[in-house]
Amino acid sequence: MNMLTLPPTIPILSLIWLSMVLPVALIAVVPASRITLIRVIGTGFALLSLVLAGLVFLAYDQGQSGFQFVERLAWIPQLGINYYLGVDGITVPMLLLNGLVIFTGALMSWNIEQRAKEYWILLLLLTAGVYGVFAALDLFLLFVFYELAVLPMYLLIGVWGSTRREYGAMKLTLFLMAGSALALIGILAIYFGSGLRTFDIPRLAANVNFGQQYQVLFFLPLFVGFAVLAGMFPFHTWSPTGHVAAPTAVSMLHAGVLMKLGAYACLRIALWLMPHGAAQWLPAIAILTIFNVVYGATIAMVQRDAKFMIGYSSVSHMGLVMMALAAGTQIALTGAVLQMFAHGIMTALFFSVVGRMVYERTHTRQLGELGGLGRVMPFAAVMFITAGLSGMGMPGLAGFWAEFTIFIGVWERYPLLAIIAVISIPVTAAYVLHAIYRVFYANVDNPHLHDLPPLTWQEITGALILATVLIGVGFAPGILTDMIAAGVRPIAQQLQGVGW
Amino acid sequence: MSFLLTNIPRILPEILLLVLALLILGSDVFERWADGEQVVLERHRASASLAALGLGMIFAIILLQSGYLYTVPDTADSNYFTNLLRNLQAGIPRGSNVPLPVMDMFATDHLTIIGRLLFTGAAFLVVLLTYDHPPLRNPGEFYSLLVLSTLGMCLMAGATELIMLFLAIELTSIPLYILAGYFRNDRQSVEAGMKYFLYGAFSSAILLYGMSLVYGYAASTAGSADLTALSTSVITSFDSLRELFAQAGEPAPILLMGMLFMIAGIGYKIAIVPFHGWSPDVYQGAPTTMTAFISTASKAAGFFLLLRVLDTVFPNVVGNPIPVFDEFGGWTGMLALLAALTLIIANLAALPQTNAKRLLAYSGIAHAGFLLMGVIAQAAPFNTDRLNGVVALLYYLVVYALMNIGAFGVIAIVAQDTGSDEITALNGLAQRNLGLAALFTVFIFALAGIPPLAGFFAKFYIMLAVWQANAIWLVVIALISTIPALYYYLRLLRAVFIVPPDNSTPMPTPRWMMASLVVSAVLILVLGLFPAPLLDVLEQVQVVVIAGR
Repeated sequence: MNMLTLPPTIPILSLIWLSMVLPVALIAVVPASRITLIRVIGTGFALLSLVLAGLVFLAYDQGQSGFQFVERLAWIPQLGINYYLGVDGITVPMLLLNGLVIFTGALMSWNIEQRAKEYWILLLLLTAGVYGVFAALDLFLLFVFYELAVLPMYLLIGVWGSTRREYGAMKLTLFLMAGSALALIGILAIYFGSGLRTFDIPRLAANVNFGQQYQVLFFLPLFVGFAVLAGMFPFHTWSPTGHVAAPTAVSMLHAGVLMKLGAYACLRIALWLMPHGAAQWLPAIAILTIFNVVYGATIAMVQRDAKFMIGYSSVSHMGLVMMALAAGTQIALTGAVLQMFAHGIMTALFFSVVGRMVYERTHTRQLGELGGLGRVMPFAAVMFITAGLSGMGMPGLAGFWAEFTIFIGVWERYPLLAIIAVISIPVTAAYVLHAIYRVFYANVDNPHLHDLPPLTWQEITGALILATVLIGVGFAPGILTDMIAAGVRPIAQQLQGVGW
Repeated sequence: MSFLLTNIPRILPEILLLVLALLILGSDVFERWADGEQVVLERHRASASLAALGLGMIFAIILLQSGYLYTVPDTADSNYFTNLLRNLQAGIPRGSNVPLPVMDMFATDHLTIIGRLLFTGAAFLVVLLTYDHPPLRNPGEFYSLLVLSTLGMCLMAGATELIMLFLAIELTSIPLYILAGYFRNDRQSVEAGMKYFLYGAFSSAILLYGMSLVYGYAASTAGSADLTALSTSVITSFDSLRELFAQAGEPAPILLMGMLFMIAGIGYKIAIVPFHGWSPDVYQGAPTTMTAFISTASKAAGFFLLLRVLDTVFPNVVGNPIPVFDEFGGWTGMLALLAALTLIIANLAALPQTNAKRLLAYSGIAHAGFLLMGVIAQAAPFNTDRLNGVVALLYYLVVYALMNIGAFGVIAIVAQDTGSDEITALNGLAQRNLGLAALFTVFIFALAGIPPLAGFFAKFYIMLAVWQANAIWLVVIALISTIPALYYYLRLLRAVFIVPPDNSTPMPTPRWMMASLVVSAVLILVLGLFPAPLLDVLEQVQVVVIAGR
């Protein structure tokens, strides 16, 4: 059942990622002094990519399983590498998420004055990489896009960032590239282990019963390599420093979408293509994710810098995703993907309020110095509360359905861990409410906060879009869950098939 | 085997390079004593243009002759053009039909042709880089030495006989010693030239010693061997040596000694650990454009030579690069250890460098480690598809030449403007000249192995080939070594993008230097996005190397 039909001759998935490369070429020839033109081009194409992702979402036939909108061309036939794109129930919501975050992120980037040309080029290249990862069905192609999505981050944070930007940028880049080096070991292992000499993911997935010991050996570098990007404990330390240092739109993209790339790759590649290895290692991984969930939330509680608090809350929330992956059941995986979506939108909203609306005006993010902001900026307060409530898992918002599904799924497999993980819910509530109280409602009359410039239309539009999605999915989760459940079914079945 | 008239088209590129070198030298002779500022500039331009045009034309001729673009079908009508092309393409390998080496000394197989294309192409790009140099006093000499060195490299790629091999190496190296020390008034350049010469002379001596041991062993077995069974009458040719060693059975220690010395001698030329000591000093001191040439073409020629010597002379001591097997050893085992050492030491030594050229020198050593992996992969006995190793190695060499010439080219431009080749000289380049900074980013990311640039596919392919040869431990070391490598490459980009400039005046970009850089960058991007056509060409090399076993 799909709401509209696209003509099959349109290579819509290629168009989506190309719509982020084309403006790079355009912006490169625009003189650097025409900042507004550059912004319009960047935002316009971001909107275009969102519209295209939305079209894919609407045209995706939920009644059919398997990959749709498939495009396939021989690329490097000598090595069995194809240009192979396609989407299923997992990646359609991810494309939509990326479209939403890049469009709102573009809106939030209108205040970048210094070296705007380079900024937009890098931002769009990064997004092209993200779109590519979600659409790619060839391991090599996926890896190429994956690195394209990670590398521009170094310059984006290093040049346009704030607090300890060079340190944050270098740490983030080295961690993530070390992760991708590990993952490459796993990818080569699949290529040779399967004996198929192809990087074609669906074909590899149909033939996973190769050497069990071999899979046990190479599952770990593969999974851990990608999990670094998902912020899994103990490889999460790059994430808070990186997010704090990054400019707002980059934080939004990074916490909102990039960390999902890691989780997505773990799901799509590690779990799907090496199920025998997964069956051995998942319990150990589940134990590590407990640290993410509980420890991340606890650390978030003691942060004084609002961005650090959100950074650690991301560690905690992504920990839930990873825990659900480690549970590996149909319900848990559905919850994981839903949480990726919900957390992406939520954290983008968080960063746009804290990083853009508040910090750009007050030049501080210290919770203690921002008391009484609610009176000056009621809109920002409402947005922050919306995101916060979703993060706490309040019914009626997207986060609730995601966390609820995850806890049910994890309970099936590891009841004890589910109970421990539930601790994170009150802790999350505590730090979110604490932050809301300190920033917006503490009854302080802070002279620094008088005469702040009003919010711009870009900020308001962007935040409203994100909040609407959070609430919309909260009230009608069915528009995503059916699709996601169909998408993760082959992976859950794969795991079941090896006795998980 | 005597020299036949029909051999002339087969060695036409070498003949043309020699003619070009003499032409450049001769054209400048009559103006040698004119040294007004304007005249010197004109002489420099004239010699540079002649060299660039000549090299470009020779490159085109080699490409036409190779048949990679177009082969005249046998059924084509005879007219002026098809006859010309047929004559050019006579004696060039087609399919599995590879002609025997010219006088048993010089093979004109696919390996040689690819080498010729690589060396003349690199020389062409380097000559473009020197066009906007501050004018040289004796440009004729400078450019003819460059072309002669290129000729030596072509001979290195094709040499199939010990004497030829040695002459080719010397013809390559001696002009390079002079070119490295070309700025006589610059202490660093003189030091570089002297150091390069001394190290080079020692390494030649070591190589020669190894060759004499190898030859002596072959000659001593020749008494008892069936000489009529040899495929060539020249005992020093690689084919005879291999056949004699095969007849002698179990390799004697003296043969292994000889091989070891030969590997050490070639190891100096390609700058792998522990024979790398000269390269940072020479790369730093030599004129930057010459560093670009030495670090790419000369290193590539060394690898062509290493590949051919090891594959065709020593196939019976190939050994095994996988430590868990009992027969770990042979030259693949040794090279695997050297590759691992090279990757680790070079990448760590690069970390604290503050001079951009010196840093790139260490990065060049690290890349030699990757290239060695290709040599190992194509020979390892457990490899199910050895072809992958050769193709990966050659692809890597092509890409490495492009990205290193580019990176050194950018540093040459910056050094011309700021007078310094420290990393700090790059500070704020993005604000002074965004185009140049973008090109530099392409080269550095390619060196670091970031997709979709060709440097990534090169590394990926080499690792794939080595994994296929079952030397997984080496792949893991290589992957780990890319992390410190990324750190020092990012330090360069940090200077370019993040550190504010000392002065914000726009940096001028000389036209021809930029042309050379743009060509390199575009090729890096195109080869990275569409490697398949180049791989198709490189795959033909199998006919030579593997048939030689």
